[in-house]
Amino acid sequence: MLAKFNTGELITTASTNSSRPLIEFVDVAKIFKSEAGVFPALRGVNLTIQAGEFVSVVGKSGSGKSTLINMLTGIDRPSRGEIYVAGTPVHTLNESQIARWRGEKLGVVFQFFQLLPTLTLLENIRLPMDFCDIFPRPERNDRAMALLDLVDLSGEAGKTPARLSGGQQQRAAIARSLANDPPIIATDEPTGNLDSATANQVIELFERLVGQGKTIIMVTHDPDLALRAARVISIADGQIISETRPEKHL
Amino acid sequence: MEATEAGQAKSREEAIIALREVYKSYHTPAGPFLALRNIHLSILPGEFVAIMGKSGAGKSTLVNVLTGIDQADSGELIINGSPIHTFNEDQRSRWRGRNLGVVFQFFQLLPSLNLIENITMAMDLTNTFPAHEQKQRALQLLEQVGIVEHALKPPSKISGGQQQRVAIARALAADPPILVADEPTGNLDTKTRDGILDIFSRLAESGKTILVVTHDKEIAARAGRTLYLKDGKFIGGTAT
Amino acid sequence: MKLFPIVLKTRWIKVLKDIGGNKKRSMLVILSIAVGVAAVGMINTAKQIIQRDLYGSFLSGNPASLYVYTSPFQKDLSEAVQNMREVETAEARRTVAAEILAPKDQWEDIQLTVLPNYNNLKIDRFTLEKGSAIPGGREILLERDTANAMGINVGDEISIKMPDGRTYSLKVAGIVHDVYVLPFSLLGEATGFVRMETLQWMGEQPYYNQISLVVAENKNDRDHVLKVGETVRDRVIKSAGYQTYRLQIPGISSDPGEHWAHNQINGFLLILQIMGGMAIILSGGLIINTVSAIVTQQIRQIGVLRAMGGVRSQLVGMYFVNVLLLSILALLIALPLGQLGAYGIGRLAADFLNFDLVLFIIPLNVLLLQAGLGLFMPLLAALYPILEGTRMSVYEAVYQQGIQAEEKEKPIDRLLYNLRHISPPVLLSLRNTFRKKARLIFTLVTLTLAGAMFISVFSTRTSLTEQINQISRYVAFDASLGLNGGVQRPTAIREAMRIPGVSVAEGWASGSGVIIHYDGSESKALELVGLPYNAQTIDPLLLKGRWLRSGDSQTVVINEDLLETEKGLSIGDPIELKTGETRRTFTIVGITSKHLSGPRIYMTLEDFGRFTGRQSQVDSIRVRISPETVASAEAQSQVSLQLEKHFDNAGLSKQKATTQHVIFANFSQPFNIILIVLVIMASILSVVGGLGLTGVMGLNILERTREIGVLRAIGATNTSVVKVVVVEGIVVGLISWVLGAIVSVPSGWVLAWAVVETVLQAQVNYRYSGWGLLIWLVLILLIGIFSSLAPARDAARLTVREVLEYE
Repeated sequence: MLAKFNTGELITTASTNSSRPLIEFVDVAKIFKSEAGVFPALRGVNLTIQAGEFVSVVGKSGSGKSTLINMLTGIDRPSRGEIYVAGTPVHTLNESQIARWRGEKLGVVFQFFQLLPTLTLLENIRLPMDFCDIFPRPERNDRAMALLDLVDLSGEAGKTPARLSGGQQQRAAIARSLANDPPIIATDEPTGNLDSATANQVIELFERLVGQGKTIIMVTHDPDLALRAARVISIADGQIISETRPEKHL
Repeated sequence: MEATEAGQAKSREEAIIALREVYKSYHTPAGPFLALRNIHLSILPGEFVAIMGKSGAGKSTLVNVLTGIDQADSGELIINGSPIHTFNEDQRSRWRGRNLGVVFQFFQLLPSLNLIENITMAMDLTNTFPAHEQKQRALQLLEQVGIVEHALKPPSKISGGQQQRVAIARALAADPPILVADEPTGNLDTKTRDGILDIFSRLAESGKTILVVTHDKEIAARAGRTLYLKDGKFIGGTAT
Repeated sequence: MKLFPIVLKTRWIKVLKDIGGNKKRSMLVILSIAVGVAAVGMINTAKQIIQRDLYGSFLSGNPASLYVYTSPFQKDLSEAVQNMREVETAEARRTVAAEILAPKDQWEDIQLTVLPNYNNLKIDRFTLEKGSAIPGGREILLERDTANAMGINVGDEISIKMPDGRTYSLKVAGIVHDVYVLPFSLLGEATGFVRMETLQWMGEQPYYNQISLVVAENKNDRDHVLKVGETVRDRVIKSAGYQTYRLQIPGISSDPGEHWAHNQINGFLLILQIMGGMAIILSGGLIINTVSAIVTQQIRQIGVLRAMGGVRSQLVGMYFVNVLLLSILALLIALPLGQLGAYGIGRLAADFLNFDLVLFIIPLNVLLLQAGLGLFMPLLAALYPILEGTRMSVYEAVYQQGIQAEEKEKPIDRLLYNLRHISPPVLLSLRNTFRKKARLIFTLVTLTLAGAMFISVFSTRTSLTEQINQISRYVAFDASLGLNGGVQRPTAIREAMRIPGVSVAEGWASGSGVIIHYDGSESKALELVGLPYNAQTIDPLLLKGRWLRSGDSQTVVINEDLLETEKGLSIGDPIELKTGETRRTFTIVGITSKHLSGPRIYMTLEDFGRFTGRQSQVDSIRVRISPETVASAEAQSQVSLQLEKHFDNAGLSKQKATTQHVIFANFSQPFNIILIVLVIMASILSVVGGLGLTGVMGLNILERTREIGVLRAIGATNTSVVKVVVVEGIVVGLISWVLGAIVSVPSGWVLAWAVVETVLQAQVNYRYSGWGLLIWLVLILLIGIFSSLAPARDAARLTVREVLEYE
């Protein structure tokens, strides 16, 4: 059954047909308004990310790093500026279009895993395929099994998330983010709730995916983890203050 | 005993917070997780103490156990003279109301009440001040945290930093000697954070005992003493 | 902002603001309480209105204990009865069956009554509505229901056709209200009062034929009243040389001194009471669910309040006061609503039973009942969710919310997890349905009850229709016409067959007789029917034995109605009958189903002729247009008019013909009114059920906000999210439909039994309504969809960011 999907088919490389970068932020600002006044969470961010990059975004609480990734995933929309992801002007889509687009182009991995408690692992991974209808129905079960195998969880396919450890749940969540074979994976503190050994496994999984051509953007406040990425973007008070490429990647 | 006994230099009799051999574990699908391992802690009245550590180090568990929000598996917790490890949930609530103000990371103001009412609620529940004085006291506290002009607004109409000030005012409502804050500035920008820290410093000067849990080094710098937690144990402490 | 004075404790301010802040949910609780409490108030008040106004006015007119029907007598006989020790009051009456010309040139039956002294009515006193209460010569008083139905006013001239066919013009002197007769709109027989002189002028002999009497003691004792009647018959009437035809206690199987519809009204009120009780139960279930919703929504706040020093008793107090305030608001709605509903039912009953709603007094005891129920029931219902919700530790409440420990695995879960060939979005809906089992059970109970009631009402209707169809077997004619005495059977049939379109004509003979028991006592009067053994205008349903056959002699078929009074009769038994002075013994060969028109004994025309000495004579002619089926209402009324005209011209009858449709139109009206009220109650129950489902779905969504955010994050569009929620609503609806279908089998039987017993005093012939089941299926699907649509839309409106902010 697994033979049906060799790794090449299961995880495809984003087609870089144009010279444009995969992700492009043009002067993106986000301002939260309340009666107490305005709070600028992002102040004019310009950023480009090429296909196949592993980027980490670091910053303190309240620096705007979560807002930045929310802009990318379309979970929140900018007050100003333009965001292009694989050529799609994300800032122009409505909620429903964004949901659909996100399902196809972007895998999201949350800090708290967020698997649906009433579904088995296999069903959790099938769910995005059913929503987006990209893979033909008969293939979906096999594909879900293959993805579980990829994260070493094929033995737990019929279990509900509550019976798994945090690390296992996070790996299943990563498998789910790959369900529709999106070119990009966005993740906010993916290891925040994991011990260091488990966190390491998760990062290794990300590294493998990058090796297979995926683009990964990871928000974290752990400097050690951030250094595992090829490119580290630091944010403070809503602005990019520095960009480094850790030496081991050079 | 490998565990460093933080603040053991101070005698237990003087301490307003005294923890001895405190253990706490949680059940997880992957098995039991030991969040606190043999914690000893003494804090004197009027101290401003910061507790630092990474996620999962046991900071929040320590705060929860110390405030009586959660119960330790074993050990002795004598806080402001009360053996709270012997209390049941209701006794802990009653004790907490008069002895300890809690400031949460997400403020946790009651959304249906305005700022004054959020503060008078604490006095009402603890029966600490006569009904006709409560409003006046609430206004004073709001004044103290510099937010009195918004007194009649609901929490949703003010910013996060302002909400945290109100939460501090609320924690002070019943005039408890101890104030405990869990990541009080975690969701605030730098400037706002400094404002909150100023308030804590002032309170400590006025004799309140302040305990702040954080992973922000700059807060720790403002504290009189900083303790570090890792894997449920203190790894070193600076005594005042 | 200065709304709350400083003295009000902050916790009460929070309670007030919470109520005001979530208006939708507060309204849901208020409505939940109000519906049940209003229903109870409505039913109990209606009961009191009917008892006070109907029974009150009934008693104030000195109702007769007994009617004694006799051979013609003069007034002094009633005076002799009046003088008896056992009798308090006696009054002579004369009644004549005639016809009155109604609008649209239609003749309707009218009973003309003569009272001895209009200046001094003694028994069954009517009251004056308009004009004069004392008719002059060639004047008539009409009962108001008759006058209203026919649009007749004081001063109008009306036409009366006497049994001999001659018509007379009478002036309407007054319109009176008589609560002792069945109203025209119900019975189809008009009521009028005239003087004896007027009757004489119309060609009748001046005599009385009925004595109404009120017994001196034990006025409500049926046996005593009948015994007094027998004493009157034997000691006074018989000794004065008159014959007593019949002793009758007024009303439809009522006891003496009770309103004629007493049992029916009480039965109906009982049915309503039961429904009111069910409405309260549903209300309670709804409150449990909604209060759980409120508490669940505020779990974190509860945790924070405890963190601030609040103890459990304070929190329990706050939520109890919250419920209490909502209850008070609900009472403010339920009290007037209940009174309004009661007035509506009273109005309906007053029109239907022809009585007046006197004063609209609000009954204090019902209000107290409502207040008690409205205040305590919600507190009781809220007890569990409030205690449960405040039990959680501060830690769980503040930090663990959302990461709910899954309930223990039940067999149903195993079943659900074994479903593998369903797509995950549908699986999600299915498994979500069974996630909160206690809550699901409450919702299912509510919806199942509503569904069972709904289907029961339909089954009752079907059963009644079936019951009526059973009766139609015995009046399987298109038209029937009473004939003058002594008409020969061949003549009648020959004339009927001359009418174009008539293909079947039968002459039937009828008479009155009694059964002579072994001990020599006589039974009540019963109807004897002589008919051709192969009669086509009757399709008897035989419960036992067989129908009449060619060549039968001295054999009879009785109906089940007879068995009610003559218990123990069975096939093969000899039965001694007496008509006039002739006695003869017959053998019972068959028992038919109930006719509901009273006991009847069938025999062949030949036997009937020999028994009564009226060889070959018939009393009515019954015709059919088609031998196979009964015709349409229109065709029937046409053939009946032709029949009347033809027989009038032939000098064989001047009576009015009747049709099967007319008989049933009169017959089914009371049922329709009852069914309307029942359908209204069933609708209320389904509205309550729908409210319940809305509340529960809202609650489910609330608890799964985060999951919905995740669905959005992994690519679910608005439509997908709505679908996941709505499918869950539909699944709940369908489960309740299946349960309702099962429960409705017995509950439908009970309701049908109660209604048939109440109205027809007959055994129910229960028929389950497949249509009811189908209609409820459609309704429950609509309820499922609509009650989950609003929560689903709310869910779809959540943006992912809002959802994840819960972190």
